[in-house]
Amino acid sequence: MKKLTSLFASLALSLGALASAHAADQDLVTRGQYLARAGDCMACHSAAGKPSFSGGLAIDSGHGIIYSTNITPDKEHGIGNYSEAQFAAAVRHGVRADGTQLYPAMPYPSYAKVSDEDIHALYAYFMQGVKPVATTPPASSMSFPFNLRWGMKLWNVFFANDKPFKEQDGWSAEIKRGAYLVEGLGHCGSCHTPRGFAMNEKASDSSQAQFLSGGDLNGWAVPSLRGMPHWSAQDIVDYLQTGRNKTASVAGEMSLVVEHSTAHLKPEDLQAIAVYLKTLSPVVASKSASVTPQGADATAKKLTAAKNLSLGERLYLDNCAACHFVNGRGAPGIFPALDGATVVNADNPSALLHVILAGARTPSTEKAPSILVMPGFAHRLSDKEAAELASFVRQGWGNQAGAVSESEVSRMRAGIAKHGS
Amino acid sequence: MTNKFSPSRRAVLAATAAAVPIVAIPLLKPARADGLEGIELQHYKPVFFDDAQWLFILAACDRLIPAEGRGPGALETNVPVFIDQQLHTGLGSDIYQQGPHQPDAPSTLGFQIPYAPQDVYRIGIKLTQQISQQQHGKPFEKLEAKDKDALLTALQKNGVDFAALGEAAMKPSQFFGQLLGDTKNGYLADPMYGGNKDMKAWVAIGFPGARAAYTEWVDQHNVKYPLGPVSLSGKRA
Amino acid sequence: MPNITNDDVDVVIVGLGWAGSIMAIELAQAGLKVRALERGPDRPPEDFAYPKPADQYGYATRNKVFATPRDAALTVRYNTAQQALPTRKWGAFAPGTGVGGSGLHWTAVLIRATPTDLKLKTYADQAYRHSNLDPEMRIKDFPFTWNEIEPHYDFFDKVCGLSGNTGNLRGQIQPGGDPFEGPRSNPYPLPPLHDTYNSSLFADVARKLGYHPFPNPSANVSTAWTNPYGAQIAPCNYCGFCSKYPCLNYSKASPQTTILDVVKRMPNFDYKVNANVIRVDLHADKKTARGVTYIDENKKEVFQPAKIVILSSFQFANVRLMLLSGIGKPYDPITETGVIGRNYAFLSNGGATLFFKDKNFNSFATAGATGEMFNDISPGNFDDGIKLGFIGGAKIHSSQASGAPIGTALPPGTPSWGKGWKEGMIDWYDHSMKISITTTCMSYRGHFLDLDPNYRDPWGQPLLRMTFDWRQNELKLQRYLRDIVLKISKELNPDHLSEGFLGLDSHWDITKYVSTHNVGGAIMGDSPRDSALNKYLQSWDVHNVFVPGGNAFPQNFQANPTATIGAITLMAAQAIKTQYLKNPGPLVQA
Repeated sequence: MKKLTSLFASLALSLGALASAHAADQDLVTRGQYLARAGDCMACHSAAGKPSFSGGLAIDSGHGIIYSTNITPDKEHGIGNYSEAQFAAAVRHGVRADGTQLYPAMPYPSYAKVSDEDIHALYAYFMQGVKPVATTPPASSMSFPFNLRWGMKLWNVFFANDKPFKEQDGWSAEIKRGAYLVEGLGHCGSCHTPRGFAMNEKASDSSQAQFLSGGDLNGWAVPSLRGMPHWSAQDIVDYLQTGRNKTASVAGEMSLVVEHSTAHLKPEDLQAIAVYLKTLSPVVASKSASVTPQGADATAKKLTAAKNLSLGERLYLDNCAACHFVNGRGAPGIFPALDGATVVNADNPSALLHVILAGARTPSTEKAPSILVMPGFAHRLSDKEAAELASFVRQGWGNQAGAVSESEVSRMRAGIAKHGS
Repeated sequence: MTNKFSPSRRAVLAATAAAVPIVAIPLLKPARADGLEGIELQHYKPVFFDDAQWLFILAACDRLIPAEGRGPGALETNVPVFIDQQLHTGLGSDIYQQGPHQPDAPSTLGFQIPYAPQDVYRIGIKLTQQISQQQHGKPFEKLEAKDKDALLTALQKNGVDFAALGEAAMKPSQFFGQLLGDTKNGYLADPMYGGNKDMKAWVAIGFPGARAAYTEWVDQHNVKYPLGPVSLSGKRA
Repeated sequence: MPNITNDDVDVVIVGLGWAGSIMAIELAQAGLKVRALERGPDRPPEDFAYPKPADQYGYATRNKVFATPRDAALTVRYNTAQQALPTRKWGAFAPGTGVGGSGLHWTAVLIRATPTDLKLKTYADQAYRHSNLDPEMRIKDFPFTWNEIEPHYDFFDKVCGLSGNTGNLRGQIQPGGDPFEGPRSNPYPLPPLHDTYNSSLFADVARKLGYHPFPNPSANVSTAWTNPYGAQIAPCNYCGFCSKYPCLNYSKASPQTTILDVVKRMPNFDYKVNANVIRVDLHADKKTARGVTYIDENKKEVFQPAKIVILSSFQFANVRLMLLSGIGKPYDPITETGVIGRNYAFLSNGGATLFFKDKNFNSFATAGATGEMFNDISPGNFDDGIKLGFIGGAKIHSSQASGAPIGTALPPGTPSWGKGWKEGMIDWYDHSMKISITTTCMSYRGHFLDLDPNYRDPWGQPLLRMTFDWRQNELKLQRYLRDIVLKISKELNPDHLSEGFLGLDSHWDITKYVSTHNVGGAIMGDSPRDSALNKYLQSWDVHNVFVPGGNAFPQNFQANPTATIGAITLMAAQAIKTQYLKNPGPLVQA
């Protein structure tokens, strides 16, 4: 009896040890899962209708199609045979285990900033927390000379910044955390930093004035994140957490970023990102000096009276006022304000035109589950009408941005048809 | 909105009466709604009604909502196109049709005749034409306006008898009710259905159409709303 | 024998309208595996994006989002001597279908019953003890108290963003609200919708005559609202396309805007559309259900096993399913035995249309619930009924649910066609307003639901047969109300007036739309002798079947039913969560 008891006791002890080791393991995997959310790995490595992280998403680089790879731990089709060092090399430096270079569609220049600790957790997640999938996605097909991968080595020499994360002077712990997330896993610069002729990001960290100063994504003017002078930190947190805040609503690619990535971050991490962004010196927006805003009162009065309307004003009443109302203020958290909106006042009207033609849709998130759909008006507006409408909105109320031409609308309409809405 | 040439009502009737069979200039696919708004009545070839029935429909609509007096008439607003399209695209497919039917049920128990709207028109037009021949020796569309009105009134009030002509189930008033209801619907519906051409009926009565945004108007009591209508397709008037 | 059997679930919900959606979220949030089966199609927000719903002909004339009589007809007769005939076209009522049910396109008047309404039999036994009410009348009390139901009313008000003026806050009468409402634990969540011209004219006169008008309590929401589930509703823009239309700007409380985006995030909830449930399948001892059988979109018969069955397919569809499945004994009006089909009631409406040459009503600028009403004529709050020998009352209101032009009322004498009609439209469109009544309706021994012996649906099952007509009680009430409405109308001095009220010899005209507030047939009560369900909407006979819906009302009060349906459903959901799961069985001892 005694022997059995001690056998059970030692079994229990080792099971307990195994259990706590397993628990520690599980913590690491959970942390890695959280970091994968921050890095939004699934945005590219998960494709609709296919199992998670098995790749196969077609990315139009402008020079051919890049297909994302299978990063499940399948030993034949995925990264199951990668050591942690090989995993780190791929993530931070864009080098596959067999030595080939990845295209910087994989944002390895940003991920170069990810700490060893976090790489370790990510590795644990992808090795143990993800289901292996036995499929190989199609091979990428880039046009000449971009199909010559050895050329990426040269590109990296000139353009890739693989320096690790560097803390700036005067940062609090919270700001440092925000900067680490934004510069690194968040890879916000991939869209929000301008790119050079070789498609390289022109800045890669907080020490550079062009970092996050705005970019262009397939014809969509991406706003600057520097300082965010029109939003409070809470506005930024709300937006990242739900895709909406009291005046704005997410549209375009960022909707997916909110849905799959930022909506899953802890409130304190979102707060850190917000606080960090507000430390960056804002880009001085070039206001169109030739544009005089109509004035908030004047626009509301004119639209209300509904007499002697310009075509743009008439179109606004026929298409927009149902949700954005004659005061252009929408409804807090539901219908974005047009008066003072960044997307309306941007020098480049492409994002505004995209939304007018193709609509927008809030993601469903934990904190704000409602999916609110703005319809596209492409079928209801000619190019000329859309141009008149956008031009009106861009100087209505307090807005101060230049008129939009019919040809800009035609180009945007063609672009939407080509890329899909 | 450019001003489109609107043929006079007489020209339409004359053209259609004279052209038997009707000469079809560009045939528009009837099922697609956006095609219907651009139709010119005198060039429209019906898809449900045959040529003879079409002449009746044009003439009947022309009396139910005539051109004379203030406001547009049914022909100017393409109401017959609406009716033809509705009958062609499944109007009445939602009716419960299983028998047995009891056509002589009290009217308060609702529609009980064994007909879809398509049958109502087919039978109603045939019998009305028979009565017109009996009473005047001419088809309906060739009658004087006052005689057309009298016959329509007789249909409405059951002043003529379908049963005597062998129609056991449907009363004239039921045919008339279907026709008048569809005529008014075509007059006042969104133009995408083929009637209310260029929103003329809405303009005449002062209905703003599909704008559907009046937050700033709900408090303006007894103030005449100044803005013309917009259609679902975005056209303005 | 069904060809396919689905995976097991804890709860199967039949019909994903208001009641089904409430049950879905409440039970899924409690951790149960929940599946909803909806007969009609899915109804995602893209389908109703602005301006698509601004289409009177499509939605209000062709009934785009309604069930069709072809698929969902009933048969109707006035009394048992007649053969019932099918509702070949909709008339007096029109049921919804699809995800959201009628909640997608309702008028959004969200108003509670009064405490007297809920205990009408107790009230009548006392107040009418010297009167001769119709001996065939069968009114009953609801089997719960005001205090039991009030927290659920309160919660549903918040789910829907109820907008209006509080009338009675914890016993204190508040200015601007309904002084006759039952005491609320909390004020209305949001301020009222704005009054349109007609409502302000009406309210001024009503007040002058001594009545107590207040803005219609509205679930067209007045300002941006986030409900207790986290769902968002937008401010109403008075678009004029409300009753019978899906909302084009997220401002009408519906299952879509208030619940479904939330519950669809939960991995333990899913739903199937185009799934027509044809029966509930019982175990051999008939004391519990083992699941339901439905016809799927490929016309295959499928069995869905479940531990709990919720029937939330609308009032008469619920009753029909119980009859088709053998849940509870069918009602026999002659012996007055049986309970399924018993206590069926409807409601009546009517009113006056007032024409003013020189007034512009802008009737197209309106929400469904815009309007002013008063409840002075309600059981317990006026004596004339007792004197005149009728029981009941009515909301008296001026509302303006839509100003779209098809069906515009024209002054008496206007020709129905021709130049006179055309010019009448030009002269009188938007120059009229209505003063309307929406009445109570008692239940009677001879008004009931059963299965029709002659007519079937496309799936081969007998149609539900409805035996109903007006009785003198309701007709006397109508004549009484007519006097009040005409008095108010006279004060407003219109250029023309037309009226529509029932006469003392009126039969129910099923061709004229009243409202789809059909109630009863599977009522809740204290005893299985004369009710089908207990206070938790649990079948007395089959304890894992719950039947939330208007079917539970023993008679109809004058308030719109949705608020009370929401409240009793929430109360039932709570009972399932806190009592039934721990101890499956009858929750109330008969």
